[in-house]
Amino acid sequence: MSTAGFLLFLVSAVLAIVGAVITVASMRPLRAAMGLLLHVVALSALYLTLNAHLLAVLQLLIYAGAVVVLFVFVILLLGPAGEFAGDSEKLIGRVMGGCSAGAVLLLTAFSLSRHDAEFGPVGADYGTVEGLGNALYRGAMAPFEMVSITLLVAVVGAVAISRVRTAREKASDAADAEARKLANAGGSN
Amino acid sequence: MFAVYLPVFIMLGVATLVAVGMFTATSLAGPKNMTAEKAIPYESGSETTGANHIRMSIKFYLTAILFVVFDIEAVFLYPWAAMFRSLGWVGFVEMLLFIVILGVTLIYAWKKGALEWES
Amino acid sequence: MTTGLLLLTTALKILFILLVTVGAFAPMLVWAERRQSAMMQDRIGPHRAGIRLPAGAADAFRASVLPMRLAAAASGAVGALLLLLLAFAWAADDASWLPVSPLELTATGVGLLVLGGILDVGSKIHGMLADNGGNISLAGLLHPLADALKFIFKEDFVPPKADKLLHSLAPIITLMPAIAVFAVIPFSDVLYLEHWDAVVPRNGVVTGDVTAIPLQVANLNVGVLFLFAIAGTGIIGAAIGGYASDNKYSLIGGIRAASQMVSYEVALGLTIVPCFMIYDSLRLEAMATWQHDNGVWGICVLPITIAFVLFFTAAIGETKRIPFDLPEGESELVGGYLTEYSGMKFGMFFMSEFIEVVGLAAVATVIFFGGWDLPFVYRDGIDFPGVWDAQLASFVMGVEYNGAVEGIDATGIALAHWGVLALGVVGFLAKIVALIWFQLLTRWSLPRFRYDQMMQLCWKGLLPAALGNILFTGVVVLLGEGAMQMAVWSGTFVVVGSIVFFFLPALKRDPRVPAGAQPAAS
Repeated sequence: MSTAGFLLFLVSAVLAIVGAVITVASMRPLRAAMGLLLHVVALSALYLTLNAHLLAVLQLLIYAGAVVVLFVFVILLLGPAGEFAGDSEKLIGRVMGGCSAGAVLLLTAFSLSRHDAEFGPVGADYGTVEGLGNALYRGAMAPFEMVSITLLVAVVGAVAISRVRTAREKASDAADAEARKLANAGGSN
Repeated sequence: MFAVYLPVFIMLGVATLVAVGMFTATSLAGPKNMTAEKAIPYESGSETTGANHIRMSIKFYLTAILFVVFDIEAVFLYPWAAMFRSLGWVGFVEMLLFIVILGVTLIYAWKKGALEWES
Repeated sequence: MTTGLLLLTTALKILFILLVTVGAFAPMLVWAERRQSAMMQDRIGPHRAGIRLPAGAADAFRASVLPMRLAAAASGAVGALLLLLLAFAWAADDASWLPVSPLELTATGVGLLVLGGILDVGSKIHGMLADNGGNISLAGLLHPLADALKFIFKEDFVPPKADKLLHSLAPIITLMPAIAVFAVIPFSDVLYLEHWDAVVPRNGVVTGDVTAIPLQVANLNVGVLFLFAIAGTGIIGAAIGGYASDNKYSLIGGIRAASQMVSYEVALGLTIVPCFMIYDSLRLEAMATWQHDNGVWGICVLPITIAFVLFFTAAIGETKRIPFDLPEGESELVGGYLTEYSGMKFGMFFMSEFIEVVGLAAVATVIFFGGWDLPFVYRDGIDFPGVWDAQLASFVMGVEYNGAVEGIDATGIALAHWGVLALGVVGFLAKIVALIWFQLLTRWSLPRFRYDQMMQLCWKGLLPAALGNILFTGVVVLLGEGAMQMAVWSGTFVVVGSIVFFFLPALKRDPRVPAGAQPAAS
């Protein structure tokens, strides 16, 4: 890795950690989302240090441009109801959180020390549009097609959660309510 | 890689500098006389009532989800489009399937009324 | 390329971009828009802002008009006389009686004529300044400058209950991406530093050890994706600005803006996929080069013609301009998410909108209108192959033509590398101006949509149409050369037809407005 690459790695790694800490520590949801945005952008710079050009841009496009926007949307919809009141009194939760974070760190360090990976130079088209495209559209056709099914499922779920009604369903709902009201009125009389 | 991406970072830096510079200029140069009247949220002159947050239609959330789904579709389309000629008919049929399934997704959302905004 | 040269060229290119966008186009757009609205409402519009000169300047200017006109007339007369002498000498075929050589005489005569012209224009300007009371106003062009100064010195108001950090962050997050997208836009062909004053071959292949400087800030492999990725973050600015302002109007405006922008971003991204398929690349400079080398602008290839209509609609929706300006619809929401912003913070939102308009015009120019490509301008000069060839030239001019420069046609005008590149930049900027003008026309022609209509136009209109266009393009490209030829012919037919049948009639004077009813002022 060149000096410039190392510098980029250092800056973006620090920014990624700062962003992650803001995301977790901020009491206001929208500020947490901004922390996530910083983290995601720094992550994309980290991909650049690994020569993954396309992935870096896709990271920005999907995570900074879509996922963070989705979170911001939800926060806007929830409003102050989503503000975290803060129950910092619960010591046990903090201890458990700290312990699990420590355990993950230890495990990562342990597995990294055991694993002796080779980091060599990569090919010319590694991480480019052509390289990734070849791998995706020639090597991974079936998973690629399945992605579309996953996306379909996501939309079905969203429609179900938000309980949108078509005009006909609304009319039948109204008729039901009317009938119930009539029935209730009849019963009380 | 260095020579290609250094200008991008310089450009981003300059853009940030311009934005922050304008921001700083106005925060330093402008006067500050806050009065009680000025502090009231502006609602065309009438007194504000209730909380400053109001409930929004769930449709906005649905739009955001649809956006994420179709943004991901677009992301899959870009590399495919750039190497479309070399992939040939196989690539075309591959993407035809993908687009048809997402078309079904769109039709589903359409028929379910997720794209209607009347109510 | 050494790091020093890289830094220097990058700095120059960024400076150029900033000057063109922030320095020139954005203020001009503000001016043009206000001027146009004033014209439609029979007002004078922005014209008063100016630089006030010291007292007595008006009198001095008025006093100087007559002497200047006299000097101009004298200078012009002497210059014309000298050229007349030269003409006599030429007719008599005898230059010996002249006191100086013919070349010196020509230079002096032309110089005096030019001086006279300059003095004449100067006297007119002085007259205008005197009539204006000693104010330099330039038809209101200084108005945007006055606006910017006013913005900076206005009170920087932050609502006391607002989230101050996010309230401040929003304009920065909005303005930054608007400027940064220009990083991948090529404004001319590649510059070969060592050959800057030589004529490069038509195919652009330069052999030997040369330093190639692309005239775009960054020549990225991912190209246009960078543009989308950066522009996408701008959405967050509007959303958090609306949320942090602690105002109902702002909140509604913010969420409307975010919802609209995400919808139209999807449409925008999908509408230009056919262009990538035909250009076979995601790189913007490769797209411009494809159009130059194939001798056809993208808009004249049928799938791209369709894509352009969809793209332009989606892009106006994405920039939240009329007729899609629901987030700031002043009759419903005051200023939308901008309601609680003042001073330059408001100005930054405003500015990013105008820079987006310029950026959109620049992207559309590169993808649909050939970028820096100009008709009859090649990498080695100006040429009219097939139209103005050696045979025709010999017939008309009565002179025998033979090849002047290798590579360029006998009748062509060879141009040095830098000249061709400069022509490209000028052409690129001219196309941007044309597209901006088209956007302004759209803005003043169409009424605002209703929110549900706008969202349905996106999800039920643009999106399915874009997907269909992608499949159509796939079939056209895979069917081979013949289908592409058909596409080019039909696309050209559609473009020319729509210009003749829709655009030219629209330029005619509205018969309902009598010719005498023009505003007298401005």
